[in-house]
Amino acid sequence: MPICDSSDNRPNPSPLLHLEQVSKAFGGVRALTEISFEVAPGEIQGLIGPNGAGKTTLFNLVSGALKPDTGGIRFDGMPIQGRPSHELVALGIARTFQNVELFGSMSVLENVLVGRHVRTRCGFWGALTRHAAVRKEEREARQKALELLAFVGLADQADSPSRDLPFGWQRLLEIARALASEPRVLLLDEPAAGLNRVESDRLGDLIGRIRDQGVTILMVEHDMGLTMRVCDRIVVLDRGRLLTEGTPREIQRHPEVLAAYLGGAPAAG
Amino acid sequence: MPRRHLPYILFTALVAAAGLLVTNTYHFQVLIFIGINTLLALGLNLLMGYAGQISLGHAAFYGLGAYTSGVLTAHWQVSPWLALPAALVLAAGVAWVVGLPTLRLSGYYLGMGTLGFGMIIFIVFREWASLTGGASGLVGIPPLSLGPLPLYDPRAYFFLVWIIVLAAMVLSRRLIDSRVGRALRAIHDSENAARAVGVNTHGYKLQVFVYSAVLAALAGFLYAHFICFISPGSFGFMVSVRLVTMVVIGGMASIWGAVFGAALLTLLPEWLHAFADFEMIVYGLILITVMIFMPQGLTRGLIDAYLRFKRQPAQPVSPASP
Ligand SMILES: Nc1ncnc2c1ncn2[C@@H]1O[C@H](COP(=O)(O)OP(=O)(O)OP(=O)(O)O)[C@@H](O)[C@H]1O
Ligand SMILES: [Mg+2]
Repeated sequence: MPICDSSDNRPNPSPLLHLEQVSKAFGGVRALTEISFEVAPGEIQGLIGPNGAGKTTLFNLVSGALKPDTGGIRFDGMPIQGRPSHELVALGIARTFQNVELFGSMSVLENVLVGRHVRTRCGFWGALTRHAAVRKEEREARQKALELLAFVGLADQADSPSRDLPFGWQRLLEIARALASEPRVLLLDEPAAGLNRVESDRLGDLIGRIRDQGVTILMVEHDMGLTMRVCDRIVVLDRGRLLTEGTPREIQRHPEVLAAYLGGAPAAG
Repeated sequence: MPRRHLPYILFTALVAAAGLLVTNTYHFQVLIFIGINTLLALGLNLLMGYAGQISLGHAAFYGLGAYTSGVLTAHWQVSPWLALPAALVLAAGVAWVVGLPTLRLSGYYLGMGTLGFGMIIFIVFREWASLTGGASGLVGIPPLSLGPLPLYDPRAYFFLVWIIVLAAMVLSRRLIDSRVGRALRAIHDSENAARAVGVNTHGYKLQVFVYSAVLAALAGFLYAHFICFISPGSFGFMVSVRLVTMVVIGGMASIWGAVFGAALLTLLPEWLHAFADFEMIVYGLILITVMIFMPQGLTRGLIDAYLRFKRQPAQPVSPASP
């Protein structure tokens, strides 16, 4: 399936993710001001903007790491603003971090196993008694984790300590860990940052393959080449406000985007 | 038989051999104290080494176990085997109530919170004299017996304690290798990321805190019915510091480290009677030295030193390759 076929007139019946007048301030800094937009199921949506535009803050709000000051966030129609992260992951929202945050003391496989946390149930008792159901669950979790490592291309690294991986692979591992929770929407915060040309091309393919599995993607990315290539739609933030949204083609021609983006930020793409 | 079981089997054999071969009562006493301290260090190691949460008041749970069982059996002639679950449940309940707010704190604040808790409990032991016997201690705690089988013989008590310790070691190992243990280690590595993958971090910290409190209370029960006399001094701040020292010296995040640290810090005071008045200073120095030279703990540090030593003669130090 071609990744680049961009949209027609969207009737957008029921968005998977829906932000409504969301605002967030840190003391005097207004990181986000009345942001509203939607993410349709099955799409790869880009989120771009100069440094400090509020992109990561927006991810923190959607993933439950922070609570919005005002405004509402709906996931599949259900209001989710202010709910704790662990509940949102269970509902199907997963994320990666701009500065990769792996569990450094654990192996590659174990990192993905922790990612399966919300899809497994063994508790304290189960761990101590290690009864049949627990052993079965553990086997299945391992199986699934190995499949995911193969999916991102890290199958032969399963037992390496995660902190020894080269940076590009750490990014892939973080994606595998996020996928392990079987998300419906995946938030990727600058997944190509720090990658070389080849790695970033492969990442583009991987993102396409993730979408083909039925996962909706919201992606922050400074690499314009990658963004324009993989995204169906793009939302542009600037200094906490929504500047515009549209297809990559529309965004590329938008005069304000060019001004804000190329004027404000150090080299992009 | 998986290879990872081997150390446990060897260690069990070692314990059994010690139990059969040792004859000296004093030696048994020391080995029993090592066992009791291992239980304490094991729980605290899970909390500190794996989940990364410090407790400077752990002696309080040790004391709660000892005093609950001591008071119930000495004052009201309750059977120790009924007093035991009461002690464990009480310690678990207190840990839950104390952990609920304090585990939301981090780093120094958690240290301060648990320190304050330990002091309050210590004062309760000392001042609630009608129940606890106050500063002069609680007498009349009965020794244990299992049906018709008396356990006050040091050899029998040695086996009781060490069977419990071995069971606790195996259970803790299972915990660490499970989904729960992975979640705890994840919290230690990056609480942020742990939350982001769906770990209810506060809930897990609370659970491991309760688990470590229950192990400590169990140790307190074994202590009370071995000595048959308890006083607040055995559960004060110094004891909490000694427990932390055991964990740090033995090595954080290591079951064997807990055994090793407990053994060392049980034997050390026996060898260093002369330093009794400077206990705090000695522990302080040990802690600083280990932190600086062997941040992974003595167990890991010695293994590394041994490996270096083994490699050295065969292979001269080569210049770093470009
Ligand atoms: N936890 C916080 N406390 C205080 N200020 C914050 C916090 N997080 C973000 N900010 C501020 O909010 C604004 C938006 O930051 P954010 O990290 O969301 O930007 P961004 O678009 O992700 O930028 P970048 O491209 O550099 O990653 C910045 O001015 C930042 O300093
Ligand atoms: Mg950012």
